[in-house]
Amino acid sequence: MDSYRIVVADSSEGSRKLICKLLNKKGYKTYQATDGAGAIRISRSIFPELVIMDTNLWGINAYEAARIIEEDKLSTVIFATSNPTSAFYEKLKNMNIFAYVVKPIYPEQLYQMVEFSIMNASKIHLLSKKIEKLENTLESRKKIDRAKGLLMKALKITEDEAYKLLRKKSMDDCVSMNVIAEKIIKKYR
Amino acid sequence: MSCNYSKEELLKKAKELELEFIHLQFTDILGVMKNVSITIEQLEKALNNEIMFDGSSIDGFVRIEESDMYLRPDLSTFVVFPWTNHAKEARIICDIYKSDGTPFEGCPRNTLKKVLKEAHDMGYIMNVGPECEFFLFHTDERGEPSLETHDNAGYFDLAPVDLGGNARKDMTITLKQMGFEIEASHHEVAPGQHEIDFKYEDALTTADNIMTFKMAVRIIAQRHGLHATFMPKPKFGINGSGMHINMSLATLDGKNAFYDEKDPTQLSKTAYYYLGGIIKHARSFAALTNPTVNSYKRLVPGYEAPVLIAWSASNRSPLVRIPAKRGNSTRIELRNPDPSANPYLALAAILKAGLDGIKNKIDPPAPVISNVYHMDDVEMKEKGIKSLPATLYEAVSELSKDEVIKDAIGKHIYEKFTDAALYEWYEYSKFVSQWELDRYLRKF
Repeated sequence: MDSYRIVVADSSEGSRKLICKLLNKKGYKTYQATDGAGAIRISRSIFPELVIMDTNLWGINAYEAARIIEEDKLSTVIFATSNPTSAFYEKLKNMNIFAYVVKPIYPEQLYQMVEFSIMNASKIHLLSKKIEKLENTLESRKKIDRAKGLLMKALKITEDEAYKLLRKKSMDDCVSMNVIAEKIIKKYR
Repeated sequence: MSCNYSKEELLKKAKELELEFIHLQFTDILGVMKNVSITIEQLEKALNNEIMFDGSSIDGFVRIEESDMYLRPDLSTFVVFPWTNHAKEARIICDIYKSDGTPFEGCPRNTLKKVLKEAHDMGYIMNVGPECEFFLFHTDERGEPSLETHDNAGYFDLAPVDLGGNARKDMTITLKQMGFEIEASHHEVAPGQHEIDFKYEDALTTADNIMTFKMAVRIIAQRHGLHATFMPKPKFGINGSGMHINMSLATLDGKNAFYDEKDPTQLSKTAYYYLGGIIKHARSFAALTNPTVNSYKRLVPGYEAPVLIAWSASNRSPLVRIPAKRGNSTRIELRNPDPSANPYLALAAILKAGLDGIKNKIDPPAPVISNVYHMDDVEMKEKGIKSLPATLYEAVSELSKDEVIKDAIGKHIYEKFTDAALYEWYEYSKFVSQWELDRYLRKF
């Protein structure tokens, strides 16, 4: 197992140290944070594979801190709570993955949750990257089509000629066709 | 950065953007931004100036009998918050009106508008570019803001990451998204101290921008796990945070009124008189440009902050500097204001001082050429150079003697402001500080 890095954010020293000790035993590398802002700072510095965050955190609210960490793509957060209420489940729905550990901590449950979370988070990460790439391709294809249309109309040329013109310009200027298309749309609109 | 939507366009735009919340913002007398948040359904009502709030619940506003206040949104200040991905939010800055439909004299934005109108009647538009400094501190282990600029927990294997620098980069990007034109952003002299400069605008827009800037900086800092503070002097022994004000007057047809190519220094008579007014009233507007007990701990020798009321064309040590640039960039840089100031009131007071100089043809004293930090008392006395107030108390009593500046901020704000400042001063005077304990506990 590669040495995954996990930030343990818990204001209670006992529970923080316990979680870290258990994780270290399994070969995970751990970093401790005692408050919400501290958890954000470490996450921004190391981009850990996972953040385990106690719901009763000092400083900025744990859910707020977790939201920032996930929104800014610093890591994936799972919560540790001794009180899993329905309000808590509602909050969980907004997170990357629906996973949490219940206190008191049982080692087996912790290991299972951590392994599950890291695996799923990396899968989600890969998928969202793929989607982003596809969306970009789709977006630029739309732009190129539009630019082609504009060129055909303005210069009275065929579709094939318009495409070739775009491609040539893109190669001459050493920028992607997408950029050229954007410029053409701006010019002829 | 204004967008000039009409009411209908703005409503349409808000629907298009699927906004959920709109924050109606205004600034209280002490320079704290207040919010009345409404949902999109209430936006139309807000744009019809029908949103009311209880003025007596705001510090230093009004008594309970006259507490119904109306918010009048200034549509040109509509900005969508770029940092909220989950629920889309925007803000509009508002003026405060009384229930009889007249502007409320306790609203700092109205106050600045009043002085700007006076300038306009004289044929001038005030342009202002601020240089706002701030500190980024870490939180302690309990999540409270501390004075630390580095995590004291040692993460041995961590490469030193410049958290402050990254946060500043993010702030710059966010401000750009909000329509700011950022001119420079850099680390300042003291550890953890940063500065972000944005382009000059007319005085009202700049005052709005300063308030927006402070809000954005605080929010982005929090997203980086840092605490941003605009406190003028958070740490003894290192530079404090200033908010230098670069200003110029333009004529109504857009020419720089401070520039005169025929003069040997290329400064116009207007510029000299304006400067004369600033120098004359500097001791009294200090209460507004430096409104906290802490402000005066920044205005001490040795930390690049001005102490003496003098001006120079090149030297950076006195109160006013005239940067070398001429033509349309001809401007005056006032160096004492700090970011704890209410920008609306500070600019109103500074402008009023300058206008007084123009009206009464007040000649400025001769410029100082040597470094004023190295001047001794005798030399200062010979040259007639005074110093800025040394305490908030002194500043408030200077203000009480200056009818021109009092007139700029109006009776209502003057009274509430003075009450608050003196209250703060007396509270501070009663407090026994660590410095006293260290000094006297053993000695006596």
